[in-house]
Amino acid sequence: MNSGIDLQGSFVQTLQDFGLSIGLAKAIWLPLPMLLMIIGATVGVLVVVWLERKISAAAQQRIGPEYAGPLGVLQPVADGIKLVFKEDVIPAKADPWLFTMGPVLVVVPVFLSYLIVPFGQNLVVTDLNVGIFLWISLSSIAPIGLLMAGYASNNKYSLLGGLRAAAQSISYEIPLALSVLAIVMMSNSLSTVDIVQQQSGYGILGWNIWRQPVGFLIFWIAALAECERLPFDLPEAEEELVAGYQTEYAGMKFALFYLGSYVNLVLSALVFAVLYLGGWEFFIPLDHLAGWIGVPETTPWLQVLTASLGIIMTLVKAYFLVFIAVLLRWTVPRVRIDQLLDLGWKFLLPVSLANLLITAALKLSFPIAFGG
Amino acid sequence: MNLAEGVQIVSFGILGVMMIGTALGVVLLPKIVHSAFLLAGVFISISGLYILLNADFVAAAQILVYVGAVNVLILFAIMLVNKQEDYAKLPGRLIRKVATAVVCFGLFALLGTMVLVTPWSLDSTSPAVVENTVIALGEHFFSDYLLPFELASVLLLMAMVGAIILARRDLIPESLATVDTISTSLTLPERPRELATLSSDNEPQN
Amino acid sequence: MFKILKQVQDYAQESWQAAKYIGQGLSVTFDHMQRRPVTVQYPYEKLVPSERYRGRIHYEFDKCIACEVCVRVCPINLPVVDWEFDKKAKKKKLNHYSIDFGVCIFCGNCVEYCPTNCLSMTEEYELASYDRHELNYDSVALGRLPYKVTQDPMVTPLKEFAYLPKGEVEPHGLAKGAQRAGKRPEDILQEIEAAKPKEEAKAE
Repeated sequence: MNSGIDLQGSFVQTLQDFGLSIGLAKAIWLPLPMLLMIIGATVGVLVVVWLERKISAAAQQRIGPEYAGPLGVLQPVADGIKLVFKEDVIPAKADPWLFTMGPVLVVVPVFLSYLIVPFGQNLVVTDLNVGIFLWISLSSIAPIGLLMAGYASNNKYSLLGGLRAAAQSISYEIPLALSVLAIVMMSNSLSTVDIVQQQSGYGILGWNIWRQPVGFLIFWIAALAECERLPFDLPEAEEELVAGYQTEYAGMKFALFYLGSYVNLVLSALVFAVLYLGGWEFFIPLDHLAGWIGVPETTPWLQVLTASLGIIMTLVKAYFLVFIAVLLRWTVPRVRIDQLLDLGWKFLLPVSLANLLITAALKLSFPIAFGG
Repeated sequence: MNLAEGVQIVSFGILGVMMIGTALGVVLLPKIVHSAFLLAGVFISISGLYILLNADFVAAAQILVYVGAVNVLILFAIMLVNKQEDYAKLPGRLIRKVATAVVCFGLFALLGTMVLVTPWSLDSTSPAVVENTVIALGEHFFSDYLLPFELASVLLLMAMVGAIILARRDLIPESLATVDTISTSLTLPERPRELATLSSDNEPQN
Repeated sequence: MFKILKQVQDYAQESWQAAKYIGQGLSVTFDHMQRRPVTVQYPYEKLVPSERYRGRIHYEFDKCIACEVCVRVCPINLPVVDWEFDKKAKKKKLNHYSIDFGVCIFCGNCVEYCPTNCLSMTEEYELASYDRHELNYDSVALGRLPYKVTQDPMVTPLKEFAYLPKGEVEPHGLAKGAQRAGKRPEDILQEIEAAKPKEEAKAE
């Protein structure tokens, strides 16, 4: 199997050629992908915030941000700068330590989860064995941060919002994990790179969305609930809870919550793209096409082309999903808390269990189509 | 010592200090909520130690199960039960404390001797050699650790059935519903009214 | 056995229906994305207020006879008329007149009843100020005429929906002399005047 571009290898090799020791070269390489990931995630959030505001405006026949930069693209930057310079208020009767730790605990795991998002064969920070499982387990830390923020604010709305967020998060984690498990069963691996590889080869026809029609719906619903997106944004339902667990927050701490929620949305969309939409794969199998034309796989320009196309495809798929999430936001009314838990426990859980069973049965009976 | 070893030693130090510090905090802090949040810190540092031992799946599972489920449940229990209780002087407090100390030191001695006695040298099947930890875990679960695995799953099933029966109030016999005075002490002040209406609703059906 | 099957069937049917309705809703939202914005970009674009708009009250000091009718018809006796009797001229001499627009509800009763037409409604609605006492307009402030939206070079005036030509929903980029649907007051007046001689002739 052609492994594509090996950025780390070539970078370390270049530094070694300059006369550095291999340990030093690797030490210089180490922070680069992490930095790139953090910057990429933050820029992704800026883009998503702008997109969300523009699409929302279009859906409501408004214009949206317009005057900050061309088409208002600098509006999220302006918002961010404003939040950074805002006074950082800690309420007098709040618990200052927990109040500060809450947003941190919400944001850090989300950024950590970017470790496993692949943008290409070698364009991933770490290709872990436990890949997708790391995402699920890291996303289960967030409710602790939400509870912490809700409790430390010493405000009834915050506490209720925090409790709701935690309840929602832990109850939708189960269908989410079960639908991911069905995918993992088909690809025989938890690693995100392996999951994409298993879908490759047949272009759009090979994507998991055709093999998991129920699973992808469950995943999408559960992912929206995990991100607290609109049909499930009960923790911050402004009509009932002012702003939920964020009520007492201002300035940078609020910005962390805001950032965290949007990073989480982008992350969920990226993971959805990886699990169900073939990750970095193009609509048609490019490798085969190149083979038919007669260009060998190891040609440098082809590798660069496929790598950049992979990044673009991953982002296009993810942003398409974000677009759908925004559309859903302005289409579906918010559910009540009892309806939310009913949907999670009485509908999604049994359906995802059935989906898992059917996938297992299909895997045993049609090992060719379902990754035996 | 190369880069990887240095990182390993430094992170081991950080994790060890973090774990002992948070564990002491769990025991010593006066506010129960702080203890519960620090418990999450203990679990996270344990999972970090697992990662240092190359047990990536166990580390992720540790976070998912202990931080994501157990600790959240503990926090829920603390935050939803707002029962105020004044600390009363217990009779024979000294004896209780001494007994606790004896048990604790006994446990500590037991664990200490176990740490000292166990041969910690790595054999050839150390986790560092295992290619895919998930597969190795699965094989162990379904071969030499089958009985504990099955026992644990039966235990979890029992807990789940119990939880469902507790949640479905129509399955609880009628006589329990009349004992409202006792049940109110474990529920929120607002709840008892609903309990009463539920039990009266059930009567015509039966 | 069959009861359970029916339950399952009903449940599946309901889920399918819910999914269908969500899909319909999505298509409606998607359809709205292609429509043009209906918003007015306020400080840069402003709607032309209608003829009967009840904005800030305009007052002409010289016309006023200090009769205090405006005070009497006001729901809360708001206008302050400060006059004294000039014995030489045997007339009321008006010293001061003021209306507090922080309290006024713009009902227009004073304008309606003013015997000398010294009160009138303007189309000014931008009364924001940093201090509510600044809203207490004296006779000088009341005598100022507001800027017209159509004459302000900073502002693009937009017609309100009711003033657009027939079939038009978009105030941007209207033709220069475009008029609203239906008859205008001048036309109606003209018609009435044209019909008058006939009626008179009939009556005779």
